[in-house]
Amino acid sequence: MSFADIVALTLHDVKNRLAQLAGSAEARGDTETMRQAIEAADKLTSLLIYYRSDMGSLTLDIDGHSPADLAAEFVDQTAARGPCRVELDCTQAPTLWFYDEALLRMVLANAVQNAGRHARTRILIRVAEQGGLLEFRVEDDGCGFPDEVLAAVLGDAAHVTREGTGLGLELARRIARMHQNAGQRGQIRLENAGGAVFRLLLPP
Amino acid sequence: MAILSPYRNKRALIIDDVPEMRSSVRSQVVSLGIEQTGVAGNVRDALEMIKNNRFDIILCDYYLGGGTDGQQFLEFLRSRAIISRAALFIMISAEKSYGAVITAAECLPDDYLLKPFTADALKSRIDRLLDKKLRLVHIDRLQDQGRWQEMIPACDEIIAAHDKYLLDAMRVKGNALIMSRRFDEAVTFYRQALQMRSMPWAKLGLAKAYQGSGDAGQARDTLNDLVAETPRFLAAYDALGRLHRDAGEVDEALSILDRACTMSPNSLLRHRAIAGIAEDAGDFGRVEKALGTVVRKTRNTPLRDLNDYAKLGNALSELGDPEKAITVIAEARTSFKEAGDTILLSAIEAVAQRQAGHPELARQALEQALQVGDQSLSEATKLAVAKACLVHGRHEQAEQMLREIVQNNPGQLLLHASISQMMKTHGNAERAETLVSSSSAEVIRLNDDAVRKGQAGDFRSAAAMLREAAERLPGNLQIVANAAYALFLDVYANGLDIDKLQDAQRYQQIVLDRDGRHPRLGPIADIVAKIQRKYKLPAAS
Repeated sequence: MSFADIVALTLHDVKNRLAQLAGSAEARGDTETMRQAIEAADKLTSLLIYYRSDMGSLTLDIDGHSPADLAAEFVDQTAARGPCRVELDCTQAPTLWFYDEALLRMVLANAVQNAGRHARTRILIRVAEQGGLLEFRVEDDGCGFPDEVLAAVLGDAAHVTREGTGLGLELARRIARMHQNAGQRGQIRLENAGGAVFRLLLPP
Repeated sequence: MAILSPYRNKRALIIDDVPEMRSSVRSQVVSLGIEQTGVAGNVRDALEMIKNNRFDIILCDYYLGGGTDGQQFLEFLRSRAIISRAALFIMISAEKSYGAVITAAECLPDDYLLKPFTADALKSRIDRLLDKKLRLVHIDRLQDQGRWQEMIPACDEIIAAHDKYLLDAMRVKGNALIMSRRFDEAVTFYRQALQMRSMPWAKLGLAKAYQGSGDAGQARDTLNDLVAETPRFLAAYDALGRLHRDAGEVDEALSILDRACTMSPNSLLRHRAIAGIAEDAGDFGRVEKALGTVVRKTRNTPLRDLNDYAKLGNALSELGDPEKAITVIAEARTSFKEAGDTILLSAIEAVAQRQAGHPELARQALEQALQVGDQSLSEATKLAVAKACLVHGRHEQAEQMLREIVQNNPGQLLLHASISQMMKTHGNAERAETLVSSSSAEVIRLNDDAVRKGQAGDFRSAAAMLREAAERLPGNLQIVANAAYALFLDVYANGLDIDKLQDAQRYQQIVLDRDGRHPRLGPIADIVAKIQRKYKLPAAS
């Protein structure tokens, strides 16, 4: 067995254990442990997908989905996770858009988890069609991204973000770019505007 | 506080081989308010429960241990219509590896759920999926019943609403157009869908529509495009394989299916497709390899199939390993005690025992194979019985059966070639060449005789001859179509006869179902209209 196979099997095994841990924590009402276990498992998922992307074996399953439905999932879930309020704005959301839903779910979960760590009172998730692109926007009312994070997205160097290795952000960027249609590519934009603003833009 | 959950009356089944995961998912399901839950640790238990209960939601882990995975189980359930489309099937998996290949739409679960997940996450996904089922309940039900024509307007209604179920309704509509053989409309429909965006399912549909409308060239080009654009879309390989097979291009068919198999080695359906083509082509090494894999993967599971054992046994005999063939047949007899085609097994055993040098056992097996008349047997079983007769030197009996198979399957060149080959190897080598051609000529002569009688005005004799032939050869569309036409003419000329009319209508329906463009259908419709006018019958629907 190659090292890569061992890694894949081990990740699988660890994720199963984390799933059991999360399950038993949830059953006894220990939300904090459950949240930690799930975030850790999500991180392993990202790692595996990052590895696939490096090997060139990550492919998209593009299909038509309802962006408002996807965004709504995070309202339900984050509400259970932390004290901060999650607001959802889908007034400008298109009925259908084409993307890989499983991968975007991972990207957005990471963004929402990140926002949840830094928000003071609220997170705003907004989905809208703008200038022919679909925008998923995750906004918090924390102290914003540090300068090196804002700069790093423009370059391609590896970097350590506020509380992580930068894996989530780098993967988000790769997945966004893999979404391409009609000569346009998806992209991630980070901004500070009264807090951190994470924007995922997707072509039609 | 008592909250009345909308899930109170739902039934859920959880399938996972890890006991802790089962109970963890179960308590999540219960926390949603679902009171009736079942759990199963393996496919056998799960199948038992599904057969005895109606489940609204099935949560199945992808890894089930013991050689079977969740995808194989789902393909099995769908291919045998064991669960209705109203049931939600959600695949739980620890990673997104399933995304490596894309299976046929009809074998996709309703959704995938990545482990671990919270009860909240489970709830929001199930909510969403149940909303969708509710929206599509009408077309799902029609689809379960195969009422394709009625589905088309039902889909149009949803498409016109332009809501988030637009694409779901479009997929179903395209398939319904193809199933009701409205190929020209299907071509137009899929072309329009592809203008929206290049979508693999629409391209596959377009290829099938081209194929149905008789344009195999366009179908092939479209599929080749699709395979190049979306190499992971396995349904395209399956369709391309069928196209090559139908054109008699065995090597191309096998090579494209092999490519799909490399990408997704666990699909039982595809291994079986490969074995089927290889068997027709006389490539028994391939048959042995493909079915050996299937038998190994399905042994002691409910997914096992007697035909796999039978064909594997036959291939082993052909490859000169009759002892192994006998072992496989013996295993099949123990494994399928309760039911199954024992005639088929006996026929194959009769060949193997003879080759292995056990004349007494061979004779017993042949007697078992011949104890039922051949009318009720499937084509594959008839072929096996004929072969057993050949091997045992009963040439006349064998040839009579083979003649009938040829006549009932006109134009199936691969089958004809394999019958010639069978005659060459096991029977009369000189007659091998002529059997297929003389059998075909016999039907043509019969048909011509009947047509001449009809032209001479003797519709009664013409109809009687063709009716007898159609009953014997229901797969021969020319005979069936002419039988319908002659019977209608007979009724028109010689008076209303309910028996004849019913048979004529039945034959007409067979032709409609198999080839909506058959040239006889026009004249048949004309004579039916004349009959309605003459006897003042209400117009048929």
